[in-house]
Parts: sequence; C-alpha cells; structure tokens
Amino acid sequence: MINTFYGIDQLVTAPSAKTFLAAMIVGLLFGFSLERAGFGSSRKLAAIFYFRDMTVLKVMFTALITAMLGLSLLVAVGWLELESQVYVLPTQYGAQIVGGLVFGVGFVLSGWCPGTGVVGMASGKLDALVFLLGVVIGAIIYNETYGLTSGLLGEGTVLLAFGIPRGLFALLFTLTAVGAFYFAEWVERRFSDGGKYLNTVFLRAFSIVLIIAAVAVFILPSEPGTEGAASTGSLSEQAMLEAVEAAEDHIEPEDLADAIIRGEEDLLVVDVRTSEEYQAFHITSAVNVPLPELIDYLAPYRNQGRIVLYSNGMTHPAQARDALDRLGFQNVFMLTDGLQGFLDRCLMPVSLRRERLSDTMAERVHTWRRFFLDSKTSDAVTAARVSGV
Amino acid sequence: MNDNSTETPAESGSGSKPYWNPYLAGLLLGGALLTSFLILGAGLGASAVPIRCGAWLEHLVAPAHAQACDFFGKKYLADGVNPLRYYLVFMFVGTFFGGLLSAVLAQRVNVSVERGKAFAARPRLMLALVGGVLVGYASALASGCTSGQALTGGALLANGSIVFMLCVFAGGYAAAYFVRRQWHD
Repeated sequence: MINTFYGIDQLVTAPSAKTFLAAMIVGLLFGFSLERAGFGSSRKLAAIFYFRDMTVLKVMFTALITAMLGLSLLVAVGWLELESQVYVLPTQYGAQIVGGLVFGVGFVLSGWCPGTGVVGMASGKLDALVFLLGVVIGAIIYNETYGLTSGLLGEGTVLLAFGIPRGLFALLFTLTAVGAFYFAEWVERRFSDGGKYLNTVFLRAFSIVLIIAAVAVFILPSEPGTEGAASTGSLSEQAMLEAVEAAEDHIEPEDLADAIIRGEEDLLVVDVRTSEEYQAFHITSAVNVPLPELIDYLAPYRNQGRIVLYSNGMTHPAQARDALDRLGFQNVFMLTDGLQGFLDRCLMPVSLRRERLSDTMAERVHTWRRFFLDSKTSDAVTAARVSGV
Repeated sequence: MNDNSTETPAESGSGSKPYWNPYLAGLLLGGALLTSFLILGAGLGASAVPIRCGAWLEHLVAPAHAQACDFFGKKYLADGVNPLRYYLVFMFVGTFFGGLLSAVLAQRVNVSVERGKAFAARPRLMLALVGGVLVGYASALASGCTSGQALTGGALLANGSIVFMLCVFAGGYAAAYFVRRQWHD
C-alpha cells in the first residue's frame, strides 16, 4: 500500500504551502498537456461538434483510459485503496444530467470549457478571457437562483462502474475508446482532410498496448486483500491477533453509513444493546439482537455478506466477535467506537465540530444526517413508533 | 491547404509549430491526472476557481447577503475562510503557466479573438460570454466541469461523471448547428 502524499482532507482542512505547491505542479503538467494537444484554441475545441477535427475525443479518451488503467492496476496490485485514498465525486444524476446538457450548449457556444479556457487565456485568446468572466457570472446566477434547481441535487452517494465489476468495466471502456479512435480517424478522413492516423502502425500499436493493459486489469483480482483473507476454516489465533492489530475486524462509522445508504446487499447491522436503548435510537436498518441470542440469530448469515455489530462502546461487540470467530464466522465486523463513534463522526452537525471539515466531508455529513436523522429523529426521540426492523 | 491541415498547425500565427500527436498529448494529460490522484488524493479541477471567484466577489460587494446564501454561504463562505485559499486555485495558476510555457515554446501566443474570418469579433465575444454563463451555471449545478467531472470522475468510473460527459456531448451536438457561423471563413 502506498499513501497518497496528501489526501483530500489534508488538502482542504489543513492546507499548507506544500499542498499548494503540489497542486500548482500538477496544474503545470495539466496546462502544458492541454496546450500541446491544441486546446488553447476554441476553434479546434469546437471542431469536434462539426466532425472536422476529432482531437478532443482522441485526447480526452486517451487521458481518461490512461488514468483509469493506471489507477486500476495500482488498485489491483493492492497499492492503492480507491475509496479511502482518492476523493470520488458523488453521483447526483439529476444535477449531472441537466448540468451536462447545459454545459454542452455553453461549450459549443463559447468553444471553451474552464480548463481549456485558462490555457486559451495563456495563449492570448480574448474570447477565452471573456468566457471565464462569463463562468464567474454564471456561478453567481446559480447562487442567486439556487432554489430553482436544488431539487436536482439529491443525496449524492458514491456509485462506481454501474455495478459491473471494475475490471470488466475497464476492459469494455477501453475497447469502446479504441473503437472511438478509429471512428474519429474515419470521420476526419470522411468529412475533412484529417484522419492521418487511420491505418497507421502507430494507432494499431497504441490500441494494442491499451487493450493489453486493460486485459491485465481484467485478469488481476480487483481486491486482492479480500481474496487472501477468505481462506477456508477459522483464522488461527495468531492470524486473528494480527487482524486485530491491523483493525481489519473493524468498520469505520463513515464506511458503515455509506454502505447503508447505498443499500449494500447482504449487509446485516446488529444492535446488541438492550431493547430500551434500541427503541430510543438505533442506526437505520439495524436489527436488535440481545447477546445471548446472537449465535442462533446469526447462524444463517455465517459468511454471507457482512455482519456489523455495535453497542454503545466496543467491549461487547469485541467479545461477541471473538466468540463468533471461533465458530467459523469470518464476516463479522465491529463498528469502530460503537454507536458513540457513529454519532460523533457521522451525525454531529458540522457547526458543532471543533475541526473544520472539508466541503466534501461537510457534504457527506449533511447526507448522513438527512438519511439517518430526518425520517426518524422525531420518531426516535418520542420512541413510541420505532418498533424494530 | 492539404499540407496545412495534416500537420495541424495552430490556427493563428503563421510561424507556430504543429500540435502534438493527440494520442501522445492524451497520454501526458492522463499522466497529469494520475499524478494528481497519487500526490493530491484528488483529480484535476478548473471550474471551482471561477465559481469561488464569484463567491469571493459577491462577498466583497454584499457580505451579509452572500453569507446568507444556500450555495455560496454554506459551501464557500462558512467559518470566514477566504474562498480563494484553496488548492484548486493554485492548480489553476499552474495550469495557466503550464499552458503559457507550452504556447511560448510552440510560438502560439497571439493576442486575438479566435473566430472564422467571415464572423465579426463582437458577436463572437458575445457568444463566448453567453457560453461562459451557461458553463458557469452548469458547473456549479453539477459540481464540476469537463476536468473535474468528465475526465477525473470518468477515470474513477463514477456513474454520475460518465453520465455528465455523455450529456455534455449531447448538449453540444444539439446546439452546434445554431452557432456554426462563428467558424465560417
């Protein structure tokens, strides 16, 4: 496992000269490659919409596939944990569909998008400068009319690869991109006098290299860690202690909250507190099972999906987990810091926190609070109607 | 003409060098994105900066109003931190100078309003402005642009980002016919 140097939380909550310098260096590379591609020219950018010059498609798909395969290979060999180490944009279909359509119209009108506009400005293009001023104005208009479209925003959960295994999706995506390259070259040859890479050894070799990388991603297991741990029989005591040391038997409150919201299949959340405590408040979707009944209750779920135990603290779940482990359960996790941790880390309002949260983190907290509190708080507080799931 | 377009020289400026092979430029761009993931733990972004400039400007002119807004106030102006003290602002500055370096090396810096020869500068600037307003609105709504959503989210295989990218092309192709004249020579 390699660590990303900074990570979004540090970038946003604890910015320093170093994080700013790193971002600037990344920007240098970004701007340089955009300009090299010809994206300092609005005419060249807009040309894709008239089938005259398909450079935008070629560059964009190449970049996307390169980064995707690079990331996937790092994930496949276990060097990178995608969801914990890299900030992934949440999916909000309504906002992204409407935003995308409006963006596309603005793109073809102006011939610019924000990133290329910066490079256009650096190249002396006055239309790029005016475009960027327009973007500022557009953002202000959005702010002033926020209520009109706030219904499109939705909860915003992280959704990846449309539920298809990552390796398979990566392979299909790569094949699509290679098809798009040939299509782009053909279009250029057909409608203008471009398309000079069609039928070249270069494009053939380039396509083959991408496909080989994609096949490698497809063949490699997407999560080697989980495959290794799923050996037959119970873990030895030694292995178990090592797992404890590595906190592999824990699930972090944030991860649990996201798993519940995205409706993870075969996730069983078990509240092992007394029924009075459960009635007063429990995590949405949790079932209440007293400790003495736990083994019988969980028997059908042995090694099926994930079982997450929680109490107020961690002692009872830990003891229960050890007992279950000896009975061959390998899918039992404890909620880190128990219900208290969940309340502190997921549900505490942003305004009451001592540390400043990143925008993305604050957004996640809002999502969690909406999901775990809104529909239930009143019920939970008055207790009466919550009767268990 | 034939020679020119196969060599894809910059449209303006006669002495400028040809653009890179688009696949190699894409490889470098993908490398920049991968570097960003590994060093910053986040991808590329551009629209955040003009959006934050909007928040900063509004706060300058009408601080109480800006602070009370659901978007600017809650997202960018909470806790009294300057919205421009943000890593993407520095990435934006880097992007400018990276683009400038490349453009200077290729002799492509040229103060001009890019347009077709048969189209006047003023309406071209109007289209750029209106397009910019739409792009700014859409980027704020979708929390990202072609860099942050399409490219970065696409490489991560985020569902919404891939949908966003498809919609950008759909919107662009739908409107292209109506603004084609700006590129007529």
